[in-house]
Amino acid sequence: MQDFINIGKRIPKMDAEEKVTGKAIYIHDLKVPGMLYGKILYSPHPHAKILRIDTSEAERLPGVRAVLTGYNTPPIKFGFYKDNPPLKANKVRSYRDEVAAVAAIDPDIAEDALNLIRVEYEILPAIFDPEEAMKEGAPLIHEEHLGGKEKKPTNVLNLPWRLIAGDVDEARKNSDYVAEDRFKVTWVAHCCLGTSGCVAQFDLKNNLTMYSNTQIPSLAQKDYLDALSAMGLQGKKARVIKAMIGGGFGSKLDTYAYEYIAILLAHKTRKPVKIIFSREEEFFATSPRQPAIIHIAQGCTKDGKLTFRDIRMTLDNGAYTSWGATTPSVMMMPISSLYKVPNVRYVAKCVYTNNTWSQAMRGYGNPQATFAIDSQIDILAEMAGIDPLDFRMRNANTPGEVTPQNFRINTCGLRECIDVVAQKLDWRQNRGRRDGRGIGMASMIHVGGGARVYKSDGCGTIIKIDDFGTVNVITGATDMGQGADTVIAQIVAEELGVRVEDVVVTHTDTDICPWDVGAHASRTTFVAGNSARGAAKKVKEQLLEVAAKSLGENPENLDIRDRTIFSKNDPEKKSPLGKILRAAHYAAGGKMVMAEHFYDPPNENLDKEFKGNLSVTYAYGTHGVEVEVDKETGQVKILKYIAAHDVGRAINPMLLEGQVYGGATMGIGYALTERLILQDGKVMNPNFLDYKMLTAKDVPNIEPIVVETDDQFGPFGAKGIGEPGLVPTAPAIANAIYDAVGVRIKDLPITPEKVLAALKEKK
Amino acid sequence: MKKFDYLKPHTLDEALSLLNQYGNRAQLIAGGTDVIVMIKQKKLFPDVLISLQGIPGLGQIDYNGMLRIGPMVTHRAIEKSELIRKEFSALTDSADVLGSVQIRNVATIGGNIVTAAPSADTAAPLLALGAQVKLKSMQTERTIPIEQFFTGPGETVLEKGQILTEILIPKPLPNTGSAYWKLQRRGALDLPILGVAVLLSLDKATVTCSDLLCTASPISTVLHSLEGDEVFCKEVRIALGVAAPTPMRATKAENLLRGKKISDELLKEVAETAAKEAQPRDSLRGEAWYRRDMIEVLVKRMAMRCIERILRPEETIFPVRLW
Repeated sequence: MQDFINIGKRIPKMDAEEKVTGKAIYIHDLKVPGMLYGKILYSPHPHAKILRIDTSEAERLPGVRAVLTGYNTPPIKFGFYKDNPPLKANKVRSYRDEVAAVAAIDPDIAEDALNLIRVEYEILPAIFDPEEAMKEGAPLIHEEHLGGKEKKPTNVLNLPWRLIAGDVDEARKNSDYVAEDRFKVTWVAHCCLGTSGCVAQFDLKNNLTMYSNTQIPSLAQKDYLDALSAMGLQGKKARVIKAMIGGGFGSKLDTYAYEYIAILLAHKTRKPVKIIFSREEEFFATSPRQPAIIHIAQGCTKDGKLTFRDIRMTLDNGAYTSWGATTPSVMMMPISSLYKVPNVRYVAKCVYTNNTWSQAMRGYGNPQATFAIDSQIDILAEMAGIDPLDFRMRNANTPGEVTPQNFRINTCGLRECIDVVAQKLDWRQNRGRRDGRGIGMASMIHVGGGARVYKSDGCGTIIKIDDFGTVNVITGATDMGQGADTVIAQIVAEELGVRVEDVVVTHTDTDICPWDVGAHASRTTFVAGNSARGAAKKVKEQLLEVAAKSLGENPENLDIRDRTIFSKNDPEKKSPLGKILRAAHYAAGGKMVMAEHFYDPPNENLDKEFKGNLSVTYAYGTHGVEVEVDKETGQVKILKYIAAHDVGRAINPMLLEGQVYGGATMGIGYALTERLILQDGKVMNPNFLDYKMLTAKDVPNIEPIVVETDDQFGPFGAKGIGEPGLVPTAPAIANAIYDAVGVRIKDLPITPEKVLAALKEKK
Repeated sequence: MKKFDYLKPHTLDEALSLLNQYGNRAQLIAGGTDVIVMIKQKKLFPDVLISLQGIPGLGQIDYNGMLRIGPMVTHRAIEKSELIRKEFSALTDSADVLGSVQIRNVATIGGNIVTAAPSADTAAPLLALGAQVKLKSMQTERTIPIEQFFTGPGETVLEKGQILTEILIPKPLPNTGSAYWKLQRRGALDLPILGVAVLLSLDKATVTCSDLLCTASPISTVLHSLEGDEVFCKEVRIALGVAAPTPMRATKAENLLRGKKISDELLKEVAETAAKEAQPRDSLRGEAWYRRDMIEVLVKRMAMRCIERILRPEETIFPVRLW
């Protein structure tokens, strides 16, 4: 292994002190002179016609500066399916539908004004079950939405997710064992500690500045420009400035109604307008993880070789469409490529209902699909009479493999991960006790080198160095708490031979920062890291050239270590970095040391059949868990938690472990306690008391195991690790529960009630 | 958030007089962990908050033949009281699992009682411990058993102008143990799906056991291997939270056990009876069938824990956590 100065070091996050001391500036802290406060009136019904809106009383309230509705605003449509206006006219389709909005001089007045808006509704029949919503004669959520061959009104979206490889029907006939099951997963929330919010501001020329906490500054910029066009403001500029982000987890991968409402209010009032969500709004008016009903069949031969995987899914799309509807594109990844399975069929339908609508959330469909797949692997292994550990080993992916979706597997540490988990759990000893204690495991695949979701998967970086040797890295990447800034600083520092504290990373402003496609697909370390490394290499070349003149040495003979440029031939020939820079700046005909680099990994877009090498490398991992089940109460306690991940290389083991701890913790919540409870479309638990996110007392001791495979494409060999930590958690726990007490729970979360009911039924 | 005036009287008489003066416009505030939340949620609209924070004496714990707990005593103080842990263990069990440490540092036992949530953590233990509460107004003062205090969810006998000034708990009989279990979905910051408190007094605190390993075995095993020794129940109180509109006593179950020889089978029957007399309902936080099933499981477990605390008292002397 190479001798690194900054790579592989446990360096705390650069913003850690600011955050723990409360000095960091979040969007909630931000005040712009003259700022007004916006509030939103939501629908009191899941499905209703709007007959009349009377805002006159609200407008007369002292301190109110504007009241907007769907009737006095331009026709903006947002979301990739363009079915969602910021303010709804004529009809509401869910409890989170925005009906009116107010801007006032303080938040209390804005809230009081909401209560003065009179809306008359005619209640329509509503539908909350996606399987019911597909049936003929079901109430239509969007009457104008046409689909199918005959172009008839339908609740089924025109998104025919379909992946076929090999011949599933034939393979099924030739299988010795076939397992067939129905799994169900429900809504869970991102639970960002920083709630959603923004400040919209126009200058005199109607250029927009958005203070935002987006994960996708460059794409959000485009969304805002589209909105400005719809408002009749063509050719204007949109600038996005990010405050410190209090958690993203995918929730900030789209733009939302509240942002457009802030823009509309700011335009109307000619004042900056701030909208900040309350915790209750954060729970019911932002978009959770995509729920799904999963019909799955898998088969194997007598000796435990997987023969096929056949999956049919119904996704509850909710009333409008955000990225949740595209999660099947990522579900295809584990469906086609988790373990070697030659024949694959996957079809999914997204169906409008009057429920809330979903968004991206860490793992982007992968945890849902993996729960079904790897729970059923245990079921199938039992049918075949094979230990699930051996079953997984026999079907484990290997380097060099091309999967049915045409993924080209490059480095792959899956076998090592399974192996280390089995060792740590003392698998052969502890499996099959059935005495209330049990062990289980599950594995995962995720993109490890970004993913070509859009036409580009690129990220730009600019690096300049000042007179004193401080390295300014201006990146397109977004640090939303995961520590991207720190990892980028380490990569640049390593390449330039300086210390991490010499590097300042700026990522906050689209007027300054280069383009990037966004913080998604666990891509930031890989893509932004490679981009930063490329820029650093170019800067280094320039530095050595400048230094060569002042040191009288060939550039090839020079290198940089610990802020000093020195000659490899004659260590006495050296100069501090700052001095070289000053020499460059102050010389006649001087030179500025600065470079840019745009990195776009050789990833492929999926073709029409949804096949293609989506990512240049893939991340694998296996989680193992030991549980104790209280047979009388149905409660599950986690005794041991092992999370082994093939990470390519750990650039910063401390931050990497943080990702694994956080991911596994989120995954344990997904498996055991968390759910948004919707009753007839209404979120019944919009608070942390009744939404059971784990507390510090509930998180077990999670043991992360780092498996390094040194990926040839990764920056210093690294792969992405942002999402993998929660992907295999739920099936690992479900498998352990089965081992402990012999009951198989197929819908999440696995509550004590479900376990106890299953135990009673088994008796 | 609604604006209000904040008054901080320095004597109980002053507080009572202010309460009288402002009538419906006033709201008493102790720790504020319920009141402030309810104001923010627009469930309370007081013009005036009268704080009990500045009144000396309301935050005291005294033990003089009877345990007297002031309404302003925080859950943290209860949790840390060695006296309460030793003699009134069920109360420690409940204070120790309410909210989080930060909440327990400010939330008071008086507040927990007067808010009268069916899920109030300290209510069931106080019922099991046979507590009484003292209610004082400008003119009157009366002491009533805590069973009579609760009248419905969020409703109590407390009248306008009255303040709950003291919680009184009688000294337990010799050979008594008590225990509370909060069935919850996570380890902190949760409300109980169900709360079960049991107080048990036995006729003796030492038994002869046929098996040397008895000292380490579960209590149900010990009960089976008593060597010609019989243990009788002198007194028992079983209290349930979230099992009915108010915290309740399972009196039929108690009657089944009082005066009888303790056995595994009898405890099972007692627990079944308690489950039958409860009236749990379906709610967002738990289904009725599960609550009923859990009463059966937990009443027995808590009875066993009481016996364990009597026979192996050292378990209640040493704190659960040493740091």
